[in-house]
Formats: sequence, C-alpha cells, structure tokens
Amino acid sequence: MTQPDTEGGWQRLHPLSPLLRGGVVLLAVLGYLVSQLVDEVLGSFDAGGYVPGGDAGPQEEWAWRAYPLLALAVLVLVIAAVAGASWVSWRFSRFRVADGQVELRTGVLFRQHRQVPLERVQAVETTRPLLARAVGLSQVVVQSAGGSDSHLTLAFLGAERAERVRAHLLELAGRSDEGAPAQRLPGAAEEVEGAEPLVAVPNGRLFVATILHGSTLVLGVVLVVGGFALGVGRVGLEVLAAAPALIPVVLGLGVSRVKELLVHGNFSLARSRTSLRVRHGLTDLRVASVPLHRVQAVEVLQPLWWRPWGWWRVRVNVAGVQGEGGDDEETTLLPVGTLAEALTVLGALGAHPEDPVLHEALTGTGGESGWTGPPRVARWLDPWSWRRAGYALAAHAVYLRAGRFTRHALVVPHARVQSLALDQGPLQGRLALASVRVVSTPGPVGPQVQHLAVADAERLLARVAERARVARRRVPDPAPALTRRPEPPLAPGGAPLVD
Amino acid sequence: MSVPVAPPEPDDAPGVTLRGGGLAWRPVAPQLATARTVPLLAALAVALLACVVVALLVTPWVWLGVPLLLAAGGWAVWLVRRQVSAISWVELEEEIVIRKGRLFRSLVSVPYGRLQYVDIQSGPLARALGIASCEIHTASPESGGSLPGLPTAEAEALRARLAARGETQRAGL
Repeated sequence: MTQPDTEGGWQRLHPLSPLLRGGVVLLAVLGYLVSQLVDEVLGSFDAGGYVPGGDAGPQEEWAWRAYPLLALAVLVLVIAAVAGASWVSWRFSRFRVADGQVELRTGVLFRQHRQVPLERVQAVETTRPLLARAVGLSQVVVQSAGGSDSHLTLAFLGAERAERVRAHLLELAGRSDEGAPAQRLPGAAEEVEGAEPLVAVPNGRLFVATILHGSTLVLGVVLVVGGFALGVGRVGLEVLAAAPALIPVVLGLGVSRVKELLVHGNFSLARSRTSLRVRHGLTDLRVASVPLHRVQAVEVLQPLWWRPWGWWRVRVNVAGVQGEGGDDEETTLLPVGTLAEALTVLGALGAHPEDPVLHEALTGTGGESGWTGPPRVARWLDPWSWRRAGYALAAHAVYLRAGRFTRHALVVPHARVQSLALDQGPLQGRLALASVRVVSTPGPVGPQVQHLAVADAERLLARVAERARVARRRVPDPAPALTRRPEPPLAPGGAPLVD
Repeated sequence: MSVPVAPPEPDDAPGVTLRGGGLAWRPVAPQLATARTVPLLAALAVALLACVVVALLVTPWVWLGVPLLLAAGGWAVWLVRRQVSAISWVELEEEIVIRKGRLFRSLVSVPYGRLQYVDIQSGPLARALGIASCEIHTASPESGGSLPGLPTAEAEALRARLAARGETQRAGL
C-alpha cells in the first residue's frame, strides 16, 4: 500500500461519505423543506388563504405562495448544491498509510491534515452507525493516546474495505511496536489475521446478569415490601404518594440496564496474533481491537449476586482508550462469563490459567501464604473485607484483591506501573495503617489496597518500585509485559511468589 | 520463586517511608508559607472589617465574631505553616518521591521513566517571592505529583534534570 497506485498512495473515502456524515442534518433540512412546500402548495389552493400579514418577509412569503413551481426549482437547486458540495468534499478528502503514519486530509476552504504516527496508534476499530449500516458502509476510527481529540476517523468506507484497512493498520501498528520477537503462544498455529475465537457470551446469560444488579435487586425489594405493606399491612394509600418519587429512579435504572444490554449484547472475543478483537453491541455492532501490549491492568470481578452462577466480569485499562469509548465499551473483555471463560481471557492476556496466586486472588478468603493483607486492627475501618483484601507479588506482576461480597482481583504487570502512592488519613494514622495505590493509566481498573499496616505498605511500595524498575529496564520501549511470555512462567506447582 | 532482583541501591537501604526515615528529604522553600498565608490574611482582613462595620452599625453582639475570626485566622496560619513544613521531596536513582501532609499523609513515587512532561507554574505573588511550583505529569492524570514552592531557579533546574532522566530512562506507556 506504500506504492503510489493513486498519486502518492492517497486513497479516497466512499463517495457517499459526505452525505452520510451530514446525513441526519440533511434529512432534517429536506424534510423541513418538503413539508413547507406541501403546506404552501396546499395553501395556495385555499380560497381565502391567509394574508401574508407579517412585515418580516412578505416578498418571500409571496414567492412561496404564488409560485410553487419556483419553490420546487429552488428545492432541486438546493439538492444539486448539496450534492455538488458533497462531491467536492469527497474529492478533497483523502487518506493514506505511508512512512509509518496514517494521514487524513479533509476540507476545501478550511483544510485539515491530521497525521498519526503508527507507533502512537493505540487501537483501531470499525463502527457502523445506523445510517451507514443501511447502505453497508463502516467507519474506521484510529485511536491514539491523546484522547478523543486526537482520533482519526475514516468515514466512510465500504464494509469490506474498512475491515481490510483496519487489519492492515493493526498489522503495521502491531509490527512497528512489537520490535521484539513476535509473541509466542503455546501451541497455537496462527494464521496471519486468523482471529481465533475465544469466548462468546450468550445474550440470555447477559440478560440475566444485567438484571442481577444491586440497584435492580434493591428496587425489587422496595417494590415487594411496598406491595406487601399496601396489601397486607393496610398502611393506606398514602404510601402511594411516594410512588412518583420512584419514577425517575426506575427510569434511570432502566436506562442504565438497557444501555448495558445494548453495549454488551452479541459479545464475542477473538484473538489474533497481536491483539484481542472485541465484537459487541446489540443494535450498533462494534468491532474493536485491543492490542495486547497496550493492556495496562486487568480486573476480574464478581458481584455477590453473580456468585451462585459463578459468573465473572473481566475488564482492563487500555492505554489511550478512555473517554471516547465510555468507561465500559472498549475496556470490558468479558461482560459476564464463567470462571473458565474468564481464565481463557486472562490466558490470552498472558496469565497462566492454573496460576495458584491468580486463583487465590479470585476466590481466596484471606490468610494464604504469600498474601499480605491488612492487620487485625483494620477491622475497625473495614469490618467485612479486611481479611480478604491484600496483595501478593509475583515475578512479573503484582496481584491485588479486595471485597468479600463483590470480589475484585486485579493484576498489574510490574512493567506497567505508572507510579505508586501511599495515603494515610487520620484514623489510619492512629491505627498505623496506610493505603497503597498502584497507579495505572485511566480506565475502569483502579488498583489499590486499603488499610495495610504501614510497614507492609512501605514494603509493598519498595518492592513494586524495585520490580517495576527492573521490568522497565528489561523491556525496552513499548513493553508488552503482560502479554509476552510471562517472563519466568508462573510455575503452577511451585511458589510463584518471591515471598 | 526468587527471581534474583537486582540488589537495592545503597540509597534505597533506608527505604522510602511515609514518615520520612533515613533519606535526605528536602523541604520546600519557606516562602511558600508566606505565599499561602497572604491571601488567607487578606480574606481574614475583609471578614474582620465586615464584622466591625456590622458591629458598629447594627448590633454590638457581632463584636463576638472578632475574637472568633482572629482565632480561626491564627489557626489557619498555624495550619499553613505546618502543611508547608510537611512537604518534602527526594530525588532517588530512578524516581522522585514527594511527601505531603501530617494529618492526611500522602506519598507519591514517580519513576523518571514514566514522565510525560513537567509544568512549571507561578502566580504573581509566588513570583514576587521567587518561588514556583513544579507539576509532574505521567500518562495517568491521577499519578502526577505536584511540588509547590521551589525557588524558581531550582524548579527550572529540577525540570531540566527530570527531562534528562526521563529521556534516558524512558519506558513505553
């Protein structure tokens, strides 16, 4: 694609693009014009008619009313102008992938030329908004680290071409950062873009899991208690006066649940050589790629009400994917899945599925060797979870866990630690406790351990800092730490902890 | 499994601790206390003035407010001094560590290799006092350390040092 097949490698977008980009506006304008016209045409047949009384623009009103054909001509002209403008805009919009950069030029009068170096590309996704989908087009969004302002959007391309461009970009971006030998997967015969399917989430399970949410359960209890009180307790109808107050709550809740369903519906995850491919969306099907080496931190969590089903959710912090995709969309690698599925996903991220530390992080209840948790005094500050909370250090990553009811297990590779912070409030100060934050890039995962003994917290800080130091040195530049072979592979049998 | 981790550097031996410990922690410039006290005193003066005016014009009860305000002002000034004296920082081999606070203690350790850029800011008052604040940014907005109240020349020098070290120890995102 570097060879100039169209002057200098520049390519054009799909000719319908400008129309689609202005799609909604255009439809609205057209609709308005047409309705206006119809009104006027009908009005001109009305015998009495209305007198164009206003002094604002009697001439125009007259023109509309008196010459419906003229109005029609104007409409046609407008359409022609729009089409012309679209054509010019299309002529001037070009993109190319060359010299290690993606470039997009747009605009006729106000020209814009955006370049994104391939090594800064964090993710490439194709999306299909409704209108575009109707005509079989997709857009390719090239995401870079600077937030949504620095994204480069190729809108629109034919669906097939969009996929090709995405694959090409990913391959280039993946290759240019990888530098090091390509990741070696145990016994996986990889094709070039052979995405190996990992997990698919049935919509039925997702539906149940979505309903099983703290807020809906509380609401259900409230409704049941309310109904019970009304029916049996004869509290009286004044209780109903509280009902309107519930309406916004119910609405908000419904919206959030439905959104969850819409976002995570039709979820499936596949792995190619250098990235994970997430397909999701009930109505707006999205395909996002998460380059494996951009994953900064992983969290596996299980709300209390998912426990009977043994369901887990896996989410990650991905460098450069915050803001635009919302907090949920690109960063959830498994909306709800069984333990085996969660472990499959973790495996794709480089963890060993039988790693005992990982299992202790998931379901441990406290006191395992290798784990350091809050001391007994912490029960004053965290009466429920202090026993389970804690950290363990493995050779390649730090494991954190928290939450007795809603279980959280987090993994941050040493090479991914941005910085470290200790915090101590006055109460903690009295009890000689401190909290440790292992700062990651922005995202849903916020790794921290609360209420450790000060000495343990300081030790954690020192050790993680030390490991991070070594890991940074060992892995030059964009370090696929979590993703490359787990450095000294986590021995399933032995003690993978350093202490 | 004991991966032979590089032996800790000699200056790591005392260790980074929440309460200081053996490292050569450096305080920030005492002018910072002045820079923070002046606006405080200005606000206090305005409140006192309002108090006196109301007391003279409306009701003498408001005189009670004056000692209260003075006490609050004195307490705030004391607090600022304590806060400022609690800020300290140290440059280690591979990271810069900043400690703050007494009641609410915090400690941030930012590896040089993670630095994205460093900001130096100073308002008019701070400039008059010859100090500037140095803000350290990494790829994560929450991990930035800010180091207020460095003498301007030192802030510039620190920025240059940080930039140089960040360059040599740069790690990917």
